[in-house]
Amino acid sequence: MKQASLENKIVWFLYPLPLLCLLTLWYFYTLDSKEHQFIFSSPAQVWQTFLRLTYSGELLRNAAVTVFEASIGFILGTISGAALGLSLWASRIVARLSKPYIVAAGAIPIFALAPIIIVWFGIGIVSKVALAFIATFVVAIGQAYQGAVTVEPKYLRLMQVFGATKMQTFRTVIVPSSLIWVINAMKLNIGLALLGAFIGEFISAEQGLGKMIVSASGTYDMATVYVGVVALVVISLLLTSLVDLSERRLLRWKR
Amino acid sequence: MVTEIADALSVAALSFAYVKEHKRQSIISDLNLNVRQGELISILGASGCGKTTLLNLIAGLIEPQGGAITISGSKKGQAVGYIFQEDALLPWRTVGSNLRLAAELRHELQDSIEADLQEYLKSFHLTADIVKKYPGELSGGMRQRVSIIQSLLFKPELILLDEPFSALDFYTKLRLESEFYSLIKKQNKAAILVTHDIDEAIAISDRVLIMDRAGKFSNEFIVDLKEREPEDVRGTTEFATYFHQIWSALKSNIAFEGI
Repeated sequence: MKQASLENKIVWFLYPLPLLCLLTLWYFYTLDSKEHQFIFSSPAQVWQTFLRLTYSGELLRNAAVTVFEASIGFILGTISGAALGLSLWASRIVARLSKPYIVAAGAIPIFALAPIIIVWFGIGIVSKVALAFIATFVVAIGQAYQGAVTVEPKYLRLMQVFGATKMQTFRTVIVPSSLIWVINAMKLNIGLALLGAFIGEFISAEQGLGKMIVSASGTYDMATVYVGVVALVVISLLLTSLVDLSERRLLRWKR
Repeated sequence: MVTEIADALSVAALSFAYVKEHKRQSIISDLNLNVRQGELISILGASGCGKTTLLNLIAGLIEPQGGAITISGSKKGQAVGYIFQEDALLPWRTVGSNLRLAAELRHELQDSIEADLQEYLKSFHLTADIVKKYPGELSGGMRQRVSIIQSLLFKPELILLDEPFSALDFYTKLRLESEFYSLIKKQNKAAILVTHDIDEAIAISDRVLIMDRAGKFSNEFIVDLKEREPEDVRGTTEFATYFHQIWSALKSNIAFEGI
């Protein structure tokens, strides 16, 4: 117990070390070279840009748009995908018929769909939500269905012995035992939802972090590009910790 | 005056075969079995001879190709409790929620089983606070006790047990056999135990049947012991005699099958 606690302290203490090393290397590499600063920017420039974008409200406004698009797409895609994936358990024939379509849908790169979606839904928020939805939907179907069909047979046998109906078995066994798969889908989908929203903004948008990064890279403003990238990383980490929190609550029996 | 004891289970001319790669492999053929109310029988036999298949047929988990199964006048699969080798407690539900599962599925009022639940917990030496725990927090022996109680709360006419004590340590196994035997006799339930353990079969059965590879019962032993506490019975001369008889029959059965 004590050893584990000491190990935790060491790990927490060492966490920032690689980042500090990287920042130091970056700082010295760009310290006296205008050319290096132009290509790589510098920690000081990035920090100043971050402060400027924060005080002007530009960073928060763009981040809020991206978070909104990604979150709505994530919620709609994950919930409807998981519901559909779980319900495929009810009919093996429908599941078999759906499989090639699901596999095919999963194989399409979201980047290839983005122009079509923007044509259909315009350059506003709706097209980004749609892209985040599509990016997460297929993963949620696949994970939830896998969870539903890999339920331990002993639980199904118990329900059969108790004379449970198919709906009772679905509610009592299939849904709760597949929850771990759905949560895994949620973890994968955070990155995919952000990617969907980002690609939409990257191609054509009025606001959002993708738009901010594209505009900045067009003028070789690398400091703003880095601020945008770091903002995406922070958003992804925050959303992941929200999913972790849900996991701890929903799967408390596993502790 | 002779009082006729009703059959809790009646199996007549039962047959079952698996079809694998267009080949029909007979598992059970023309099998007959009657189990009286309050009777506990054990079935011994080589692995793969069809013991578990028979239990699955009686529980209604699989359909027979021929014959009839009648459980206390009702159709098969009804009012049958089934305790598996490995417990099937749902890990995401607390023990209490697992124990109330059968009542929940039958839309029975939860209060109606509460008194029985507390009584069973006492009979199996489990504390009342166990209901708040998750199955993953319990030992193997405790989980199997909870499984037995879960099955009893289903109020079955007949209890099927598929090697339920085989994964437990020796002392836990003896205690659980004893607790189970006392409760079954007190409640006058019928039970069928499938096991590989001759000791266990003699200790808690009124009758021991040996199943052969043809899916039929080749031998039957009526077990009439003076001492019935499974913890003490193993040291008696009577027990040794039964063991010798059953082992001889089982040995010749296995030898006959060329194993």
